[in-house]
Amino acid sequence: MKYRAKVTSPSGERSVEVEVQLDPTGVVVSLDGRPARWNIVSTPGGGFSVLRADGRQAEAVPHRVGNGTVRVRVGAERVTLELLDELTARAQAVAGKGAYRGSGDVKAAIPGRVLRVLANPGDSVLQGQPVVVLEAMKMENDVRSPRDGVVHSVEVAAGQAVGVGQVLLRLEPAV
Amino acid sequence: MTERLLIANRGEIAVRISRACRDLGISPVAVFSDADRASLHVRLADHAVGIGPAPARESYLLPEKLIDAAKRTGARLVHPGFGFLAENAAFARAVRDAGLVWVGPDPESISAMGSKTESRARMKAAGVPIVPGMTTPAKDPSEIAAFGREHGFPLLLKAAAGGGGKGMRIVRSEDEVPAAFARARSEAVSFFADDKVYCELYVEKSRHVEVQVLGDRSGRVVALGERECSLQRRHQKVLEECPSPVVSPGLRARMEESAVAAARSVDYVSAGTVEFLLAADGRFFFLEMNTRIQVEHPVTEMVYGVDLVAEMIRIALGEPMSVPQRPEPRGHAVECRIYAEDPSNGFAPSPGTIHRLRWPQGPGIRVDSGVEEGDTIPLDYDPMVAKLVAFGSDRDEAIRRMRRALRETRVEGIETSIPFFLALLDDPDVLSGNVSTQFLEGWTYPGDPAPTDDAAELALVAAAVASARESLSVRGSSQPRPPSAWRTARPTFGHRE
Repeated sequence: MKYRAKVTSPSGERSVEVEVQLDPTGVVVSLDGRPARWNIVSTPGGGFSVLRADGRQAEAVPHRVGNGTVRVRVGAERVTLELLDELTARAQAVAGKGAYRGSGDVKAAIPGRVLRVLANPGDSVLQGQPVVVLEAMKMENDVRSPRDGVVHSVEVAAGQAVGVGQVLLRLEPAV
Repeated sequence: MTERLLIANRGEIAVRISRACRDLGISPVAVFSDADRASLHVRLADHAVGIGPAPARESYLLPEKLIDAAKRTGARLVHPGFGFLAENAAFARAVRDAGLVWVGPDPESISAMGSKTESRARMKAAGVPIVPGMTTPAKDPSEIAAFGREHGFPLLLKAAAGGGGKGMRIVRSEDEVPAAFARARSEAVSFFADDKVYCELYVEKSRHVEVQVLGDRSGRVVALGERECSLQRRHQKVLEECPSPVVSPGLRARMEESAVAAARSVDYVSAGTVEFLLAADGRFFFLEMNTRIQVEHPVTEMVYGVDLVAEMIRIALGEPMSVPQRPEPRGHAVECRIYAEDPSNGFAPSPGTIHRLRWPQGPGIRVDSGVEEGDTIPLDYDPMVAKLVAFGSDRDEAIRRMRRALRETRVEGIETSIPFFLALLDDPDVLSGNVSTQFLEGWTYPGDPAPTDDAAELALVAAAVASARESLSVRGSSQPRPPSAWRTARPTFGHRE
């Protein structure tokens, strides 16, 4: 499997081409064309004990948090990186970044209960404007519009419980 | 007959009380809302009673359901924990009237300390220092100015009917009095529909230092040193320690003496906490008394070698407390309240299912938690997941151990405030104890530290291998694999809804 990754560390952001070969004898990972054998063992809960050839070890637990974004806990550190398989990376390069932003849906980023809906169909909203208030764990949390637009429909009502990723409002397609 | 104790609470404190019961040979009885049917506090109990839907006002806040649960299970004792009905005098009285034993102070003591004005008056009479303030509302600005000339500036103007920080104004000099008085008055009207305002001395850069007390039916009242609780976010304590890094043995003795006087003035039995505001010049003033066990009680337990919850139960049973008259502190303890919230995202709540959990272990570490691996943090209650406590022979060692414990902890599936604490314990002012209750208002979480090149590479390899394995298993097998962090990064709630 081939991937294109972007990762930021003190030496700056760098793009890396990653190739993973899994075989019964282990894992070979090539970073920018330099292959190395890694000793990688699964740990409970979806993590790995990652052991590099020079003996450096860390417990790393990757979480996919969004389209191509992965967050990895490495020991007590938290690393956020972009990881796209080669096909998606190419498609995205052709379509331009905008293709992934155009969605007209306002979604819940956390589970909660709808406390208030602040916009009605036909309303104009600005990017960053709060459109729904969710209550979770005794706190009120604003859900903001991802872009400027006109509200097409409201998909939830006050009092309703919503899960992560659930559509709260739809915006008219961007002009 | 087996002695049973009903725990009128949930989560971490219910587990804590259940442990004290076991240590004393008492059988713990749990109560649960629909959201808590299989929570840890229920799993650890010998009996459990469902008391209603998830919202607390339909379950944990209903005295009649709790008393009924005690009767049905043959529990003679009732421990309220903290929060919910812990400082509700009517509940304490109802428990007593039902022929049950309330593990806490008498309802009369709860009431006396529950009223701000009554408790202030009682403290004044008992010789406990209170913040100098007017006892009647000011009729005009000249009364405020006269008070300032007598006691000094700055002053804090407050709405007599106020609360929650609304309608308060700081006045730094006599010139500011007329304008501030007019403003405070109009704010008092708009917030509380009552134009009465008064003032008290405003103590700048003050600390929150509280004294643990314990009283029993023989009339003994003992103070168990102080806790430093100045580090607060949105008026919620986040990190506490015992002893305070700034309280000398002489000051401790004076604060303990005042705390004991405060407790005696309301005939206090059981565990309680007298909260003081400590000024930079060493003066201290009574704030309020919490008539219950506190969240941060473990730091006192570690330094004084006592089990406060077990003492509460002994005292409720009419036995004398097993604490000496002059308990001596030993070493230092620090507590971090671990919340299900994401410090790198404005401390947004992060409920969900914990699919990987490793608590720290080893020398000097104590974990009080209400969850295990696989558990879901419900939306309906306080987001505190656990209290991490580190003990050391001195403050430095306790903090070093706390850092180790925070790094050793693994919680996957939800975000927690652990990165916040690691950053906080790197701050020079926190390390030197140079803080006030305002400290965290002016302190922002600096964000996750940039990963080292090594960590970045290990992370990248782990992410790529996780993705490659997933692709392989999708192609190679129709069998669904067990959920992992990778597949269900932000799990939804399922049956909780």
